[in-house]
Amino acid sequence: MTTTIDTTSSSDAATRGEIAISVRGLHKHFPIREGALQRVAGQVRAVDGVSFDIRRGATVGLVGESGCGKTTLGRCVSGLTDPTTGGVYFDLTEAEHARLDTLLATPEDDRSDEMKAELESIGKHHRIDRLEKKEWVRYRRNCQVVFQDAFASLNPRHLVREIVGRPLKVHKEASGDDLTERVVELLERVGMGRQHLYRYPHQFSGGQRQRISIARALALDPELIVLDEPTSALDVSVQAQILNILHDLQSQLDLTYLFITHDLSVIRHMADEVVVMYLGRVAEAGSTTDIFDDARHPYTRALLKASPDLEDDTDAAFVTLEGSVPDPARPPQGCRFHTRCPVATSICGWEVDDVVRALEETGGGLFGALTEVTRDSEFAADLVFSEEEAAAEMEGALRSDRVPAAAGEALIELRREGTRVRIAFQEVPEVELTERGPGHVAACVLSEPRPE
Amino acid sequence: MAVETVGTKPPEPRAAALRTRATRFTELSRDVLRNPTTLIGLILIVGLIAMAIFAPLLVEPNTPDPYQMPRDWAALNEPPGTPGHILGTTQQGGDVLYGVIWGARTSLRLSLIVVSITVVIGLIVGSLAGFLGGKIDEFLMRLVDVFLSIPELIFALAIAAVLGPSFANIILALAAVFWVKYARIIRGQVITIKQNEYVDAARVIGDSRFRIYMKDVLPNSITPVVVQATLDMGNVVLIGATLSFIGLAEAGLAEWGVLVSQGQAGISAGRWWASTFPGLMVFLWALAFNLLGDGFRDILDPKTESKR
Amino acid sequence: MTVARAPEPGTTDEAVAVASVVGLKVHFESKAGRVHAVDGVDLDIRDGETLGLVGETGCGKSVTARSFLRLIPMPPGIHAGGSVLFRPHRPCPHCSGVGCPECGDTGRLPTACPRCEGSGCSVCGDTGIETIDLSTLPEAGLRDIRGDRIAMIFQDPAKALNPALTVREQLAEAFYQHRTDEVLSRAEMANTHNVLLRRHASQRSRLIERWLLAMPPLRGQRDRIEDVVDDMVAAALAETQIPNPVKVMERYPHELSGGMKQRVMIAQALACNPDLLIADEPTTALDVTVQARIIELIKELQSRRKSAVLYISHDLSLVRRVCDRVAVMYAGRVVEVGTTDEIFNNPLHPYTRGLLAAIPSRTHLRGKLVAIKGTVPELIDPPPSCRFVDRCSFAVAVCGEEDPLLEETESGHSVACFIHNPPATAGTLPTYATKTS
Repeated sequence: MTTTIDTTSSSDAATRGEIAISVRGLHKHFPIREGALQRVAGQVRAVDGVSFDIRRGATVGLVGESGCGKTTLGRCVSGLTDPTTGGVYFDLTEAEHARLDTLLATPEDDRSDEMKAELESIGKHHRIDRLEKKEWVRYRRNCQVVFQDAFASLNPRHLVREIVGRPLKVHKEASGDDLTERVVELLERVGMGRQHLYRYPHQFSGGQRQRISIARALALDPELIVLDEPTSALDVSVQAQILNILHDLQSQLDLTYLFITHDLSVIRHMADEVVVMYLGRVAEAGSTTDIFDDARHPYTRALLKASPDLEDDTDAAFVTLEGSVPDPARPPQGCRFHTRCPVATSICGWEVDDVVRALEETGGGLFGALTEVTRDSEFAADLVFSEEEAAAEMEGALRSDRVPAAAGEALIELRREGTRVRIAFQEVPEVELTERGPGHVAACVLSEPRPE
Repeated sequence: MAVETVGTKPPEPRAAALRTRATRFTELSRDVLRNPTTLIGLILIVGLIAMAIFAPLLVEPNTPDPYQMPRDWAALNEPPGTPGHILGTTQQGGDVLYGVIWGARTSLRLSLIVVSITVVIGLIVGSLAGFLGGKIDEFLMRLVDVFLSIPELIFALAIAAVLGPSFANIILALAAVFWVKYARIIRGQVITIKQNEYVDAARVIGDSRFRIYMKDVLPNSITPVVVQATLDMGNVVLIGATLSFIGLAEAGLAEWGVLVSQGQAGISAGRWWASTFPGLMVFLWALAFNLLGDGFRDILDPKTESKR
Repeated sequence: MTVARAPEPGTTDEAVAVASVVGLKVHFESKAGRVHAVDGVDLDIRDGETLGLVGETGCGKSVTARSFLRLIPMPPGIHAGGSVLFRPHRPCPHCSGVGCPECGDTGRLPTACPRCEGSGCSVCGDTGIETIDLSTLPEAGLRDIRGDRIAMIFQDPAKALNPALTVREQLAEAFYQHRTDEVLSRAEMANTHNVLLRRHASQRSRLIERWLLAMPPLRGQRDRIEDVVDDMVAAALAETQIPNPVKVMERYPHELSGGMKQRVMIAQALACNPDLLIADEPTTALDVTVQARIIELIKELQSRRKSAVLYISHDLSLVRRVCDRVAVMYAGRVVEVGTTDEIFNNPLHPYTRGLLAAIPSRTHLRGKLVAIKGTVPELIDPPPSCRFVDRCSFAVAVCGEEDPLLEETESGHSVACFIHNPPATAGTLPTYATKTS
């Protein structure tokens, strides 16, 4: 099932532009291979069900910590990686858009043959991994990428003229002197010039390389540019130059940006809308002011509090998060953030894995005594210990305040028979995004998260 | 927006392009000349190749086949210094100097043919495996493993023995042994290079897979091949000489291995010259290319190269 | 303007600097010429303070930091002048480093100068406190100081930890190396004359000795030493708030998350209670939520241990939160030094001003970030002029002809700029009003 962030609220629909890109139910899983035979042992769920829209002419910021799937998502949008399921749609008319969402709202198994055929025909013309050749070339021209490491993204053996002119050559738009003039034009757009045509990438500074990279992205006159951490490798003074250029280009050329970064101050400066990702899913999305001034997801709040800002009070302590990001191959149930959430409640998805993880991290000898875990589901299991005392200690620990209060509340069954401890938590479905305001959604069970 | 200038004023564009490329080349050659070992290697190589090319001018070519040793039945086992035979003659009356000089030509022929065949085969196999990956990669690399599991000299020997003694068969045998290394090197390079972001960048602008391979992957993968090929120019002659030493080339061929082999019987009788001079040539040839190859390895190291 | 934080004992201006960089010049030989990476840097790190060293890529901040422990490979590096002076402390004899009233809970006491025995001489600069010139110290002496009196945390913990050793082995090394006596005394063998055990406790045993130690009579004692070291390692790990240190000790670096690895690095660095901790971009490789925890940890440990910290970073907003004083470096020079408050609320150097203005924040309108024009100059044989002249929007003729020196303008605030320190020669002087460009 897909969740749709409805960025078009009825009240101000007129002021909002049409949609350039729609991401719908996007999953990208990478198989984990093990052993000599390369057997598939599991799936890393890099992106695990993400849907959002990018309006024409807007900048959508995609933020999250490393491993949250933001780069993979960016690669899916730019067509460098095919999604496992779900898709990225482009160039949908208003009507097609509404029709697509109606179709996708029907669970896959319930779709009639006509619905499937209709989806397929929309896919052929609009879904980037299903496109016919001609349509694909059109998308390829419309969507360009600027990578994080400008040095690595420029072929070291090519001259600037070859690098920036290559898109024009590939699409047979220019050659010879004409090409040179077009390249000079592009270079001038990013504050460089003719004198840089015949140099190699290594002869430039980091900021200049990023400018070359931007010039190349502009060559085919695209509508959408995916900016994958374009300034993370640069110093602040150079970052400011690049951000200014990106902004000027956007207003001159009416570009749409998908701006991927981990730097919240850059996002606040650049983005109109922000999508916050955590462990392959959207935690919160909304306008930049919604996210920065009225964050509803505890993770967003933690991120904001952890980022130092020049205008903050120096003496304010950083609010920090406990624990580490869970393994994306086994994402937590319910809300993915519940393992680290400072305001987690009993309905946030406590599960057997939480007990096992806690045992492993802090249980000392108890983890060593654990011999077997028989799971009925993610929420219920029998823990078998080698000794009865260990099992008793486990039972005692689970009843004590050594477990988070919320987890204790969620525990609906706790029984010991000899060396066997039966535990069961209440079953909770995956937390979906719910609307918090016009165009503002968050995936948190708390309707009004308690202020910390 | 302020236009930044790096260093000099804008030069004439096309001339600048040529100059940039030329600078790269001069820098490379300066590095080669600055390093004493590569310089020695280079001097030796130039000398040996000059000897090979100008062989017909240095000594009168034998007729009808100049690659066969001329026989002077009147002067058997003459020591060095004999008039007309400065380096002496062999047991069969062959002039050692002729063998040394025309042997260089044989060696150059041998190594050029073998190295170019193996580089081409290695490039094709390694590129297919590395760039396409998957089942093709799996199959080709197992094939390479089979070849690698047999010691190269023994393998070359076996092939040459089966095919029978001739110079062409030595070329075949050596080619069958040497391509494997290139396939491995290329595959490894291609796999590393294709993960570079500039390959993704080329995909984003919509370039075809083949052109991405030709423009982005291959040119950046080729450096270790150049190093290996230089080393192999020496190694091929070394192993080739071994094969002909044990009699897998036609007798009477003007080839250093053959000469060493034929001359060794006389060493115990004090006739050292017949095998020493050709032996020395094999040594010099292998040494020269190894010196240059090692130098290339340091100079072309991508870590230092990108900083230039 | 907020009032500077209350000076803690030992951070007053009168306090003797634990380390001083005096006119340090480190150059690098390259194909294009001599790169003046560090070109006359003066810095004082006072006991117990956190000094931030900020600047952009290539400004020489890391080279300066690495010069403390002589970690710059020479060649291609050249020590072209100046020195790094260090005034080591010794573990407090009253509490053997645990912390007592005698040493002000720091566990360290300054050492008297061995030459003049505290009366003041040329070696110690009349302070009477032992002063070591790290730039000329023989390698053996340097090894005693590295990891003991001066410790370093690197940017990438994944590269700084040895992948082949468990966390326990990495940390134990520091104790064996620098705390042999303490190990022995804790194992109640302080007066042992057994050479084998002593050598084991300083980790110098050879293969045969190790066999002997594994034999019954010595085995028990050896195990006792090892248990003591294990306890010390566990305590060091616990201090960095690593949950379940006994378990973490047995892990290899690759089994730990980035934040955890950085904690192990910090535990290793602080194991011997150093006088000076050099943190070279310790959180750059970490995610922001993890970074916040590491920063809190460093601040907490620093306030408890009262070690001086040299905190190197390119992130100004972070430095503002962590440091007592800040030194701004540009192109191999320190261009401005002052208290954190002074630097951030009253920046004097045009470069510092530019840097602060370039950081996107709430008040900046989009597209209107004040970028510093141009790029960092090449440091190959630089001319005698202000290094910032090409990028400065206030520069006048004199800026390109003479070299401004770092001079004090207000208490605790020095700047190298002609706007504040007019040169002796007359002529047009730059002011903030003169806008060239």
